[in-house]
Order: sequence, then C-alpha cells, then structure tokens
Amino acid sequence: MADSSLPPPPPPPAPPVGQPADHVPPPPSADSRIETPLVGVYGVTKAFGDVVAVSDVSFTVGPGITALLGPNGAGKSTLFRMLCGLAAPSQGTVQILGKDARRDTAVRGRIGLVPQQDALFDRLSAQAFVEVAAITHGLDRPRERAAEVLGVVDLDPGERKPVGAYSKGMRQRVKLAAALVNDPDVIIADEPLNGLDPVQRKRMIALFRELGESGKCVLVSSHVLDEVARLGSDILVIAQGRLAATGNFHDLRALMDDRPHRIHIATNDPRALGAELLRRAIADGVRVIEDGVEFDTTDIEAFGLAIAPVARELDVHLNGLVPLDDDLESVFRYLVER
Amino acid sequence: MAGSVGLVRSTVVVFRVLLGQLRSPARLTGLGLLGVLSMVISWSVGSGADPSPVQHLDNATGVITLFTFTLVLPVIALIFGVGALGDARDDGTLVYLWVRPLNQISVVFGAWLAATVISLPLIVIPAALSALLLDAGSELVMATLVASALAVVAYSAVFVMLGILSRFAVVLGLVYVLLWEGVVASLGSIGAKMALRGYANSIVTSRTGVRTELANSAESTSIIIFAIVTVVALLLAAARLATLEVD
Repeated sequence: MADSSLPPPPPPPAPPVGQPADHVPPPPSADSRIETPLVGVYGVTKAFGDVVAVSDVSFTVGPGITALLGPNGAGKSTLFRMLCGLAAPSQGTVQILGKDARRDTAVRGRIGLVPQQDALFDRLSAQAFVEVAAITHGLDRPRERAAEVLGVVDLDPGERKPVGAYSKGMRQRVKLAAALVNDPDVIIADEPLNGLDPVQRKRMIALFRELGESGKCVLVSSHVLDEVARLGSDILVIAQGRLAATGNFHDLRALMDDRPHRIHIATNDPRALGAELLRRAIADGVRVIEDGVEFDTTDIEAFGLAIAPVARELDVHLNGLVPLDDDLESVFRYLVER
Repeated sequence: MAGSVGLVRSTVVVFRVLLGQLRSPARLTGLGLLGVLSMVISWSVGSGADPSPVQHLDNATGVITLFTFTLVLPVIALIFGVGALGDARDDGTLVYLWVRPLNQISVVFGAWLAATVISLPLIVIPAALSALLLDAGSELVMATLVASALAVVAYSAVFVMLGILSRFAVVLGLVYVLLWEGVVASLGSIGAKMALRGYANSIVTSRTGVRTELANSAESTSIIIFAIVTVVALLLAAARLATLEVD
C-alpha cells in the first residue's frame, strides 16, 4: 500500500489523485510507537550538477505491490538507486525499514534489487550467479537456496550455459531470482517486465502479486500503464522528477478520462462543424487547420456521442477522427503542468 | 533468513567472481604477447655479442629493468588492476556486490586478489624466462622473480584503487607508468621515491650488484614500501567504494 502521508500521529491524508505531493513529511522519530513504514522517502531531491533528477519527493510504502509509474527519464531509477543506498540524496532522507541503506550495511540484507541495467556476471551460469547472491547474503545453504529460487522463476538450476548467452527475458528472471534469494522484506524491481514475452510477463506479474500478498513490500517501476494495471497495485506517478499523483489504476484511468482532450477530425467543412460543436458547448475550443479541425473537450464521452449526429445534420463528411493526446505521456505532462 | 557474511567467505566469493570476469581471452592473449615480446628481446640480447661476463650482466639487467619492469610489468598490472572493479563499475555489475551486506574491504580485497592472481603468471613467468634467456646467471633470475612478484602485488593494489577513483583510470595509470615513472622520476630523488619501479629495481640491484635506474633503497626497505603501498591503497579504495555512487 502506497501512502504519501505521515507515519507519526496525526497522519495527514494521502494527496488525492492528481495532486502533487506538496508537503514534506519528516521521517519517523526513533522513539515513535507507530510502526515504521517499510519504505520511507522524505523530501528527497537528487541533482546531478544542474540537472534535477528527483525533486522534493515524499511518500511511504507498506506491504503489498506499489508501482512507480512514469515516462523514461522521469527519475524512477534514480529514486530506486537512492532507496537501495547506491546513490545519496542531495536533500532529504530515504529509509528502508527505518534505516539508511547507504550507511547501514545490514539493512541491505533485507532488500532484493532487480536493477534496470542488463548487466550480469556473464561468465557464470544462472545457478552460480544466484549462488553468489546467496553467499554474499550470508546464507547457510547457498547452492540449495539458489536452485530453489531459480525454480520459482522457471529457470533450470542444472543449466550450465553462462548467463551471457541467455535471452533478455531469461536474464531478467536470473536477476529476479538473485533478488529473491535472501527472502527480502523489500523487493525493488526496476522495469522488471522489460524484455519478457507475454507468457513470462504473466508469470512474473503473478509472482509479484503473490509476494505482495504474502506481506512483502514490492516496489515495481514501469512506464507502461497496462503493466501496472495488471499488477493491480497502488500507483505512484512520477514525472519530471516530481511525484505527480498517487492512487490505484482506476483513479488514474479516471484521471485520463477527466482531463482535457484534443481530437483531430478530418472533414470537408471544418468551419461548419467547429462552429456547431462550439455552439452546442460540446467542444471547449476549436482550431481550424489545413486538413480539418482540432477540438478541445473536457467531456470526451459526450463528444463521442454527439459528433456523428451533428455531422449528419450538417451534411458534413467525417473522413477521420484521431485523439491527439490519448497516451500516457500526455497524462504525465498534464499532471506536471496543472 | 540472511545472516552475517564473514570477511574471508565474502572475499573468496568476490575473488572468484571477479577473476572469472577478468579472464577474457582477448585480454589474456594481448597481454600474453607482451610477455612473449620481452622474451624475444631477451633472447636476442642473450644470444648476441658477449663483451665480458660483467658487461653482459649489466646489459642483461638493463633489459630486465628498462623493458620488463618499465613496460611489461606495470602495463599488465594496470589492465587487470583497473579492470577488477573498474569494469564492474562501468558495466553495472558492481551493483550486485554493492547492495549486499558486505564489508567493502572484502570487495576491494577480493578484487585485488583477483588482479594479482591473474597478473602474476603473465608477468613473473615471462620475466623469469627473460632473465634465463639473457643467460647472465642465476642471481639475475632470482632477483627478477622476487622483484617482479613483489612489484605486482603493490602495482595491483594501486591500480585497483585507481579503478575505483576514476573512470579514466587506464589513462591515468598510463600517465603514471610512462610519464611519472619513465620520465619525471628520473629527474629527482623525490620523484624516484614515488615510483614503484625504483623499489623493484632496488631489489635487483641488491641481489646482482648492478646499479639500476631509480634504485636507491635496500631490499628490506623496498619490501616494506611495497607492503605499505599495498595496504594504504586497499584501505583508500575501500573508503572510496563505500561512498561511491553506483550506477
């Protein structure tokens, strides 16, 4: 469950969907009797020189699946790197189980990271790669444990082929197996569904759901709304380094429908069509262009119902209708700009 | 489920992984040829005109210190030392060591062991064979063996550290080897003290009695300096690794 509210009393409400997180909750105090969130991000900013990758982001996350949704370059990976201690925030505090993974080596043993980059120790077999993960987590029976988690991700522990010769999808599964080998409390997976075929994707999503339902905190990043929808998760929308919205998939879908839309219609009489739709208040704005007309509307459903009857009444031909901003990028842009 | 990771166990696993990563056929072949080249040069000098035994020993020692110790040894140590952690940093695999509950000392120590173990045979065997082919007596062979082995240990530590400190470690390393040790060090005693090659040459001088470039220490001093340089470089590398931003 994602929550951008404060852990200590009194917890302020989570920002409504589409609302930027404009408050900076302090990290829980050491003597807090309230349970520490599994993941806590408090007023975090990360800059690389003049480029601000993450800007004043705050949220807390508990057990279950939470998706970090945003376009490429939004700051998701930077945020994940800070959570795992791989990078230090320029400002703010990042905590896993109440600890800073950058300073506290022990807490890293409770994190499972699936990094975005494709790199593996290419000369090792999958079994050897995961065994290295098990040994470096201090597990007692690394060979058996490695074989066990490879089975969980549908890979053969007996395969001697080096992982350098694996397909992208198999490499993703090797990374996931290595991340699960220590039975972590917090699993951080950066674009884990990239490169998987539909069957593998379905299996992986089911595994994430299973892990989430077992009480683990599963943080998954993605730039694909449909993937996030299938995870059935809470969503943190991050765009241009800022936390743009929180909620579940349905909240986000509604947001996509409720925001202003722009539609291009190719027609033989753009002026007549534009004037009539404006007169009936079905369109909020009209722009006549060379091959048709562009409409702005906040009620996409009413627009869809009205356009054909109006065209028939005016005896105007509709040659084409294209939504100009029906993609996730435009939603992100809208969230950031509003 | 996870437990604490012992220093020895984690060092061994890091060593095994990084040794495997360093063992690329192209790198082994290229650097192996450098060793072969040193042997060919030694053979040609060894089988050439022989003015006198003393002159021959001088010439033979010159070949070892001016070619093997100036070029072959530091360049091979540089490629493997920088590559041990630098490659992992560049290709993103360092993440798999960094996010684990490991002491950074074990990561650096494992990397240094890997670099040293892979460099040693590629440096020491051709160096010793070169000394043999020069046919200048067993003293030069033993001196070359001891000096090159000790120097590899120290050079590897310095270059492992450099691989963590900079993304341009190979270039910086070459500047140190070719410019500092090759040119600057010969201009004054302070520069010579900061050249590892001087301490390797000192061991050769101690054992053969032949005066070599930059040699101005006793053998025991050279061994102590190599040990200090190794420990300090590894500690600095571990400290840097702990604060490194890993991609």
